[in-house]
Amino acid sequence: MSRTMSLERRTALTGIGFVTPTVLIIALILIYPIIQSVVLSFGQSSIDGSQPYQFVGLKHYATLMGDGRFWNALGVTFTFTALSIPLELGLGIGLALLMNESFKGKGLARLAVLFPWALPTALNTLIWRWMYNSDYGLFNGVALQSGLVDRPINFLGDEVLAMGSMVVVAVWKTSSFMALIILAGLQSIPRDLFEAGRMDGMSKWQEFTQITLPLLKGPILVALIIRSMDALRTFELPFNLTDGGPVNATESLSLYAYKVIFDFLDFNFGAAVVVVQFLVIFAMSLIYVFALRNKD
Amino acid sequence: MKFATYGAVAMATAMTAFAPAVVMAQDLVLSIGSRGYGGMVERNIEAFEAANPGTSVEWLKVSDVPGDSRKLYVTGLTAKSPTPDVFAIDVIWAGEFAQRGWLEPLNDYLSEEAIAAYNPSFLSAATVEGKVFAAPLYVDGTHLFYRSDLLEKYGIAVPKTWEEVISASKTVMEGEGNPQLYGFVSMWAKIEGLFMNWLSFINGNGASFFDADGNVAVNSPEAIAATQTMVDMLYEDKIVPDSILTMRPDDARTLFQQGRAVFLMVQDFVHAPLSAEDSPVAGKFDFTRNPYFEGHEDAHSTAMGGWLLAVNANSEHKEEAAKLVEYFTSYEAQLAAAIDENRAPGRTDVYAAPEMAEAALIQKFGENYAVGVVRPSAITGSLYPRVSEVMQTEVTNALHREKTVEEALNDAAAQVNSILGK
Repeated sequence: MSRTMSLERRTALTGIGFVTPTVLIIALILIYPIIQSVVLSFGQSSIDGSQPYQFVGLKHYATLMGDGRFWNALGVTFTFTALSIPLELGLGIGLALLMNESFKGKGLARLAVLFPWALPTALNTLIWRWMYNSDYGLFNGVALQSGLVDRPINFLGDEVLAMGSMVVVAVWKTSSFMALIILAGLQSIPRDLFEAGRMDGMSKWQEFTQITLPLLKGPILVALIIRSMDALRTFELPFNLTDGGPVNATESLSLYAYKVIFDFLDFNFGAAVVVVQFLVIFAMSLIYVFALRNKD
Repeated sequence: MKFATYGAVAMATAMTAFAPAVVMAQDLVLSIGSRGYGGMVERNIEAFEAANPGTSVEWLKVSDVPGDSRKLYVTGLTAKSPTPDVFAIDVIWAGEFAQRGWLEPLNDYLSEEAIAAYNPSFLSAATVEGKVFAAPLYVDGTHLFYRSDLLEKYGIAVPKTWEEVISASKTVMEGEGNPQLYGFVSMWAKIEGLFMNWLSFINGNGASFFDADGNVAVNSPEAIAATQTMVDMLYEDKIVPDSILTMRPDDARTLFQQGRAVFLMVQDFVHAPLSAEDSPVAGKFDFTRNPYFEGHEDAHSTAMGGWLLAVNANSEHKEEAAKLVEYFTSYEAQLAAAIDENRAPGRTDVYAAPEMAEAALIQKFGENYAVGVVRPSAITGSLYPRVSEVMQTEVTNALHREKTVEEALNDAAAQVNSILGK
């Protein structure tokens, strides 16, 4: 007993040794800016430092609470997350199951699935923006010529369609990421479990719901955490696809913060937006971490 | 967290652009887009270097998209970067940049005669507390471009009013029977260009942003009526495609150039691509002043834009930098830019030059600059970006019929008043 304890302790010490440098670097480049953002959000300062920092307490947060555009951005961010994550997860599991089968051209199929994920979001988004374009775009070209519609559909100019278009691009791009993580999980499931199941006369569907899914809970949760955090701070997608439009129908929190900071140069108020966003993401991560802990 | 990421990215970009590896004692860095002032930049630099031995000028080619170069400048200037020494700024930034102390006043460097020669409305946009912070480089207005061949085909005179534009559009669209042909296109995406467009519309109906007493008047009855016309062009007259709500200047220009629109109202820079040899509409289009509403012949409806040259307040070579500004905005250089490059001069005396008689295009553009409307950037100063953003949002709300025109403009007035602290 004592031998295993000391081995565990030794392993733990080695682990801590490996992790410490990374933690230090992260503390420097992540924790410091977070603290700095909080400090900025509680005060008033000039961007070039010519005026001394003045503490104004919760003033910016009070403004934020009464700011319709902030609530809109928060709503947009949640809607986008709630719509895209389940679709990505469903598609991701499907793709992972497909890629896990052995068939001819499997390598090529895996490559094709990973391709959208490998391209930078900004690039993807510009390609999609062209395809959505109502005067020159691919979708309208096909729809008009095949007689499906008699008037071009303005995908990015309509509030509901613009959000839908954004979700489609996100799902197209990131399902493969979900698939990748889930595929790794799939491959770690021992084959003999399925053999045993088959001996007991399990159907394919029973195998999936009773063996595959329960054993995939870990990887699925990890994929969900990473993707939700990504979705909650989505920026390049609306920035390049719609610039938050029409009106502010696709303006995410990140995009709003960016505009406040870099277009209006209001760093203090912008910091307040960012801090609230940080808290939202933090709360979301806590929920997931709890969920993970209970499953183990 | 996000804030830090953006900051880091922007700083990295700015540092690459703002920090040439070794800056020699007399090396000036001039920052200007490569499209805006065309071939004149290189010519002026060569002539300036020849006249000022020992001084060399490095041309930093920044983006021609104003929003992009603005971000670059703001990051560098906030960090008190000494370069670029001289940079081109959009007329709407002058008030804000000067207020923030980023620009060197030019009064000590330029003679009074030189300053007096500059276009007065542009000079006023760059004057803060009696000091001149930037020199006008060139003027760029908006115009109504039209398909002269189509108007001729249907025997329609060049429209002067919005009423005529709408009826001409309907006649041509019906006559051609081509569902791919639109009446009017412009830049109605939620961008600065939309605000310019809206100012053209409301000023064409006798309204203005501020009334004579300096009160915010964006929701005056005349402004509401003019904005309603914009909405009706979309939904009642149907001469404007839905996609106009996502169009930027070049999107609208491309449609017009492909022969898919009768009228186009954007900045004058589109004249060059439209008349290029391989342009399908070359020789089939012309331009006229922006329309007004019936009964408002004197209305100032030409939304003005343009660029100025300014000296960085942290430059280590202010004296030479001011000389460079003086050279670019000199009579000779501005005349050459007008005649060879079709750039409308930023000083008034050049228009009277005998050589200008041959520069018919510039003369024609220039006539309408006299009925120009300048955006309220000098008065609103550092608050201008916010004011413009509010107007873009509320006009977009009206164009999408999310709000009635009256609601949208009332909301706009309330927000602008609160931003300006009125």
